[in-house]
Amino acid sequence: MSAYVEVTDLRRRFDVSKPWLNRVIEREPRKFLTAVDRVGFAIEKGETFAIVGESGSGKSTVARMVVGLLPPSAGEVTITGVSMTDPRQAAARRRLRSRIQMIFQDPYASMNPRWRVGKIIAEPIRAFDLIQGEGAIRARVSELLGLVGLHADDAKKYPHEFSGGQRQRVAIARALASQAEFLVGDEPTSALDVSVQAQILNLMRDLQDQLGLTYLFISHNLAVVRHMATRVGVMYLGRLVEVAAARDLFATPRHPYTRMLLDAVPDLAHVGRARVPVSGEIPNPIDPPSGCTFHPRCPLANDRCRAEVPALLDGVACHAVQEGRA
Amino acid sequence: MTETILSVRDLTVAFDTRRGPLTAIDRVSFDIGRGEILGVVGESGAGKSVTGSAVIGLIDRPGRIAGGEIRLRGERIDNLSPEAMRRVRGRRIGMIFQDPLTSLDPLFRVGDQIVETLRTHTNLSAKAARTRAIDLLAEVGIPAPERRIDGYPHEFSGGMRQRVVIALALAAEPELIIADEPTTALDVSVQAQIITLLKRLCREHGTAVMLVTHDMGVIAEAADRVAVMYAGRVAEIGPVASVIAKPHHPYAVGLMGAIPTLSQEADRLSQIPGAMPRLTAIPKGCAFNPRCPKVFARCRVERPEPIPVDASRVACHLYDAAEQAA
Repeated sequence: MSAYVEVTDLRRRFDVSKPWLNRVIEREPRKFLTAVDRVGFAIEKGETFAIVGESGSGKSTVARMVVGLLPPSAGEVTITGVSMTDPRQAAARRRLRSRIQMIFQDPYASMNPRWRVGKIIAEPIRAFDLIQGEGAIRARVSELLGLVGLHADDAKKYPHEFSGGQRQRVAIARALASQAEFLVGDEPTSALDVSVQAQILNLMRDLQDQLGLTYLFISHNLAVVRHMATRVGVMYLGRLVEVAAARDLFATPRHPYTRMLLDAVPDLAHVGRARVPVSGEIPNPIDPPSGCTFHPRCPLANDRCRAEVPALLDGVACHAVQEGRA
Repeated sequence: MTETILSVRDLTVAFDTRRGPLTAIDRVSFDIGRGEILGVVGESGAGKSVTGSAVIGLIDRPGRIAGGEIRLRGERIDNLSPEAMRRVRGRRIGMIFQDPLTSLDPLFRVGDQIVETLRTHTNLSAKAARTRAIDLLAEVGIPAPERRIDGYPHEFSGGMRQRVVIALALAAEPELIIADEPTTALDVSVQAQIITLLKRLCREHGTAVMLVTHDMGVIAEAADRVAVMYAGRVAEIGPVASVIAKPHHPYAVGLMGAIPTLSQEADRLSQIPGAMPRLTAIPKGCAFNPRCPKVFARCRVERPEPIPVDASRVACHLYDAAEQAA
C-alpha cells in the first residue's frame, strides 16, 4: 500500500537567461535557476505534512507542482496512485482533480471581487457538476458556510465586506466545496493577525478531524508548523535537508540548518534572551555553493561538504550527521 | 527608571473625513527611558504605526494630532514648525522602516547617503564624514566597509540593506530611534542578526528605541517594556516579562494564548472571537468589550483608564478597586 501522496525526485528549473540578442552580443550562456532539486517525500492519508524554509527555498514551487499548477522539470507526483504528469493517466487525473484544492496566502487576491461569496463557493460545485439544481447548490453553500463558522446569509455578501480572517474562511469553504480530501495551503495564515491566525489554524484542525482531510502545509513560521504538522520537511535552497516527525524535529533537530533555524526564531519563551546569532544569509540560488549548499554557513563543514552533495538518508541530508561528526 | 527621553501624554490623532473625524489614536500615553527599548505591539489597525509617525511628525493630511503632547527630553515637539521638526528628524530622532529598499535612494551610493546625513546634521568635513561613515558601516557589521561604502543599495542583500538603514539612523547619534517593523521583511535567520544588532547598539549608545511590530517573538527578545495596543488605545503597558508571562488585560491574555510557540505543544490555540473594530465603529466604553470574555455592564458604557496592576498599567475595569471589592 503506497502513501496517499508520493513525490519522487522532483525537480524544477527556471530559465532566467537574458533575451537571445543580449546573450549573443554579451556572449553569455543560458542561465538556469534550480528552484527545486531532487525532492522526495510521501504523505499518508489524514496527516499534515509541512514544508518549512526561508524565502527562496523552493517550498512554494513544490506546492505548486504537487497540485499540478506547475509542471515539474523532472520527477513525479502521484496522488492515490495517479500520476499528475503522465499523459496516459489524463482521465483518471480529471476524476482526481476535484479532490485536490489549494488555499493561498492572500485571501484578498484569490477571490473575484465582483462575485458574491455564494457564487464563489458554488463555482467548484458547478465546474465539476457535482450537484444538480439551484436549490440543492444553495443548500450545499449554506452547509459549507456553517462548516467554516460563517452564517448562511453571508452568501449574499461580496468579498470586500469580510475581514481577512473571514475571507480565508470563505477560501476554505470554496476548497471544501468540491468534496476535496487533500488541501495544499501555501502560507494560509501568513497575511493574518495572530488572533485571527489562531481561529484559522483551529478551524483547519477541526475540519481535518471532522472530514479526515490530508494537508500539505507550506509555511516559513516554525511555531505554526509545530502546531499543525504531523511530519515536517525542512527545505534549504531547493533541497530537502531534513524530514522527520514533528515531535522529533522540534525536540532533536539533526541537520545543522534545522538547528540554526530553530535557534533563530524569536519566541515568547525567550524574554530578553541574549544569543549569538547565526552568520551569513541565504546564497543566490542562481549560483548556489558547490556540494552541500549550506556549507558556507555551517559550523561542521569540511572538504567533503564543499565537494559532494549529501543525499537524504534516514531523514537527514548531511555528511556530518551521517559520519557521526554532529 | 533612568532619564526619560520620550514622553507621550494623551496623544490623540484624528483623520478628517467627509463624515467627520476618525480617531486613530485615542489618548495614548507612555514614556521611554535612556537606552530602553519599548515594544509597541498590536494587530493591524491597532494604531501602532500611526503612533510612531506622530512622534516623528510624519502624520500627513487628512491626519492631524488632535490632542495631547509629545516631549523629547522635556521639550515639546508636537507643535514645532515643519522646518524645526525637519531638523529634529534625523538629528535627534532616527528612523528604521520595514522595507530597507524604500528608505534608501537607489541612485546614490550608500556611503554618499550616510555622508549626506552626517553633513546635514553635524559639522563634519567631507573627509571626516566619509571616515565616520566607514566606521558606522563597520559598527553595524558590514564586512569590508571601506569597499562596500561605494556600493549601490541594489548590490546589498536584504539583511545588509537593513544594516545600512540602521547605520543611517544612528549616523547623527540620535536620542531616540523609531523602528517600525524593522525585521518583518527579513528571513528568520537574518531577523535574529538584526535584533541582536539593534539591542547591542542601543545599549552602547544609550539610545531610546520605540520598536513597533506585530511579532510578539521579536518583542520578547528585544524589548524591555511593552505596550499592547488595541483600537488606537493602550490596553496594557509593563515590563516585557510580566506582560508576556502574566498578562492582565483580557485582550493581552487572548493575544498571548493565540500565538503558537516552539517551546510547548498546545492542542488548541486560544482564540479571540471576532476581529478588531473599524475606526468608524469603535464600540462605546471599552473598545474590546464586544470580544471580551469577561465583559460586564460597566465596560459597555465607561471607557477604562489605565490603572497600576503589579508592575504594569492596565486599562480594564476588572482591576478597578471598586469592582474587586464588589
